[in-house]
Amino acid sequence: MINEPVVFVIDDDIDDQEIFGIALDRASKNANCVFANDGIHAIEKIKNDESFIPDFIFLDMNMPRMDGSECLTELRKIPRLNHIPVYLYSTSLDAVGIDKSKSLGATDYIMKPSSIFELTDILKNIIKTKVFTALMIFFSISMIPQISSGQTDSISEINALKKLSVTELMNLTVTSVSRTPEKLTDVASAVQVLTRKDIIRSTASRLPGALRLVSNLQVAQGGSHDWGISSRGFNGAPIASSTLADKLLVMIDGRTVYTPLFGGVYWDVQNVLLEDLDRIEVISGPGGTLWGANAVNGVVNVISKDAKETQGIFASVASGTFAPGQAAVRYGSHVDSSVFFRVYGQRFVVGSSKFIDGTSARDEWHLSQGGFRMDANLSKRNHLTVQGDVYGGEEGDTLTSNMNGQNVLARFGHTISNTADISVQMYFDRAYRYFGSSRTSYVVNTADLEAQHRFVLKNKHRMLWGIGYRMLVDNIKAPNPTFTPASRTLDQINFYLQDRISIIDEKFDVTLGSKFLYNYYTGVELQPTIRFAWQFVTDNTLWAAVSRAVRTPSRFDTDVTSFTRVEHEKYVSEKVVANEIGYRFRPIQPMSISISTYLNYYTDLRTLDSTGSQLAPFVFGNNMNATTWGAELSATYIATNWWKIKVGYTYLNKKFEKTSPLVLQNHELIEGIDPANQFLIHSIMDLPKNFQLDLIGRYVDALPAESVTGLPTTPAYFELNARVAWEYKNLTISVNGNSLLSDHHTEFGRVLVKRSVTGKVMIRF
Amino acid sequence: MKIRILLLFTFMIFSSSAQKGANSEAKIKAVFLYNFTRFVEWPARSFSSETAPFVIGIIGEDPFGAYIEQAIVGEKVNSHPIVIRRFNSIAEIEDCHILFVNLHDGGMIKQVVAHVSGKNILTVSDANNFAGWGGIIRFYSEESKVKIEINTTAAKAAQLSISSKLLSVSQIY
Repeated sequence: MINEPVVFVIDDDIDDQEIFGIALDRASKNANCVFANDGIHAIEKIKNDESFIPDFIFLDMNMPRMDGSECLTELRKIPRLNHIPVYLYSTSLDAVGIDKSKSLGATDYIMKPSSIFELTDILKNIIKTKVFTALMIFFSISMIPQISSGQTDSISEINALKKLSVTELMNLTVTSVSRTPEKLTDVASAVQVLTRKDIIRSTASRLPGALRLVSNLQVAQGGSHDWGISSRGFNGAPIASSTLADKLLVMIDGRTVYTPLFGGVYWDVQNVLLEDLDRIEVISGPGGTLWGANAVNGVVNVISKDAKETQGIFASVASGTFAPGQAAVRYGSHVDSSVFFRVYGQRFVVGSSKFIDGTSARDEWHLSQGGFRMDANLSKRNHLTVQGDVYGGEEGDTLTSNMNGQNVLARFGHTISNTADISVQMYFDRAYRYFGSSRTSYVVNTADLEAQHRFVLKNKHRMLWGIGYRMLVDNIKAPNPTFTPASRTLDQINFYLQDRISIIDEKFDVTLGSKFLYNYYTGVELQPTIRFAWQFVTDNTLWAAVSRAVRTPSRFDTDVTSFTRVEHEKYVSEKVVANEIGYRFRPIQPMSISISTYLNYYTDLRTLDSTGSQLAPFVFGNNMNATTWGAELSATYIATNWWKIKVGYTYLNKKFEKTSPLVLQNHELIEGIDPANQFLIHSIMDLPKNFQLDLIGRYVDALPAESVTGLPTTPAYFELNARVAWEYKNLTISVNGNSLLSDHHTEFGRVLVKRSVTGKVMIRF
Repeated sequence: MKIRILLLFTFMIFSSSAQKGANSEAKIKAVFLYNFTRFVEWPARSFSSETAPFVIGIIGEDPFGAYIEQAIVGEKVNSHPIVIRRFNSIAEIEDCHILFVNLHDGGMIKQVVAHVSGKNILTVSDANNFAGWGGIIRFYSEESKVKIEINTTAAKAAQLSISSKLLSVSQIY
């Protein structure tokens, strides 16, 4: 009806303006949108420009300075706008408001639509431009998320963007942060990011295998289901289903998964569907300021994709010489254009390994897991995530062990502006484990509530602060009381504050922060940090940091009564003061390099001290200090668009000093059995005819023998994993070989890691 | 950039909750590159034939990934189908119509600009001083939005005529 309608939108919310712009463009190709930021701005604009006569006015009811009804009253006083239809809108409809607005001269009162689609429909009806209906139908089809691969989704997003005018494009807010490791050149810590592609293009079938791809982690397989994973040393002696490594904080989608039993991680039950991962971020070095109490040597953060990005069906089956069966399936769909979900299930059966002497380790195992994730865009600014997992499995060993667990997490995020947001997260987690060999069961229930706020102060200070409360209730049942008391309720309260101060804009900044952590055992612990980042040339960042972090006591350190005397009131946190210097740069465009060096001073490390008593010959004390120093080098080189290479090298050296003569001999080896040198290379190559060839080479130095747990020397080894895959449309078929260079080798003690080959078929649609 | 770092830290604590349907910079810029084909006119002699392709070239690391292909799939400039070519070195730069220069070293950028001078190539880059080095269009960000700066002198030298609609919303160098 009107060829080039001018629509005047008066709204204080920039995002709503953006939504209007997009919807209007869809409703009528020729319409022009003019915006005013509030009532006063709108009236000024109308008064200053006599020639400005919009065809429609949309007016937000709730605005600062001058609200919708006041503005309407003013608009109706202007003669040339007398006949112009004015639509008032608000997030809620109330009868009084409707009557009042009509009496003031509103054409209609509409409820602020929750989606662009609805708004498009409303605008379409109002403008009544039938000519473009066909176009709009095309739009609705291309914009409604379909059960399809992520690529189709982004094609429709691109199509939508293509319909925007240049001005509108310029008004879109870029919301994505740098999510590619290449753009990490300006981060002031030793961060490595593993992308989904890195993981998919490897032979990893589970999380520990994926972590092998991170060069600043030490990953040692101690058996079919046992892994020791640490950063910057202290990969403790192997124990059942884990190792005594206890200085790493591991989180899966914001949920902390290290066990309060001893501070380490049971890697066998930390399973995710690798296909649905977004990325894994690994920080070596203390992260105590922002993270929990265990981030002494590093933080591993496993992040899964938004349910919106995992629409459709994914299924995979694999079978191999070591793991006879692995199957996974995921289904993702949506309720409407803002609520997305996925459900998944996976099961795997892994074979038994052999000891060095050829006898069976009898450590075959299987595990089944299912879960869901729901992501809802409640509004442009509010996002809700709800997710949960359930697992159960059984492990061999000398006697059968079993484990199961459940968790559910909800996270609400509110965006205040481009630079400010709030998020609140809550989760419950139950983990149960029965150790067949010691006929001991352990269950821990965790409830955790956290809130975080981020904002910018005076353009110079990027502030981040948060509070959290965690309650852990555990229960240990054993034939002979090994832990006293058998059940404990542990509270943790934390508060943190960080200020990133821009000293020279874009060039030099300083980050100051501290975490204040209250825990049951040692009261309040302080974990401050200071970080400097100097970007002296684009893509060349020199950084330095000094941080203090603590490892608060665990049940193991304080409550073991089977062979130790308990003096938990005397036991204190282990502490580290870490000094780091790093440099991130790009020598040439397609290559990024990160070098970090550190010098760490540890004090009050846990020791087993002799008591002289026959009944309880040991007591846990804090009688060891250590100095570690080392370097980490990692580089990514994108040689061509079909070949990417990642290399990493780490060097670690350490020195221990016992502060009491009562400390057990060679105690430092219980705390950490670490290689001095490690080297990793990962090559990801696309070959012609839809073939892919991916290679991973790993060199790990020899590990010393350790007498307390009976660990023999582990010789140095170099191993190669290879993956050959063929991808055709929705189908991927791959052959994955692990540890191909020798029949077997040891990585951590007496269990042989054998050469294995696995065939895998994946389908996505 | 500092926001990015802070965001990174934020997301390490809570996983990415604010990134849904994100308009990534790459996506928006890819669409801009496509849009330029609508707002800029190339002389007929820059095409060898009626059906010769319209070439968007990228030198340096490709920041767009699949987005650029998605933006141009099935699109034509008049009768010329749009294609994407990626160049690994200056020597490789062939005759193209738009050249996205994803390099950050001033010396190299100047070399690229010199290499394409006299040809009808619309050079586009993120580099800070791109217009100063003789480039035609520079993307810059302002309040997290992608904006455009145009060096009209360089455009004239390349015999490209840029629509006033684009000029009116851009910053003129």
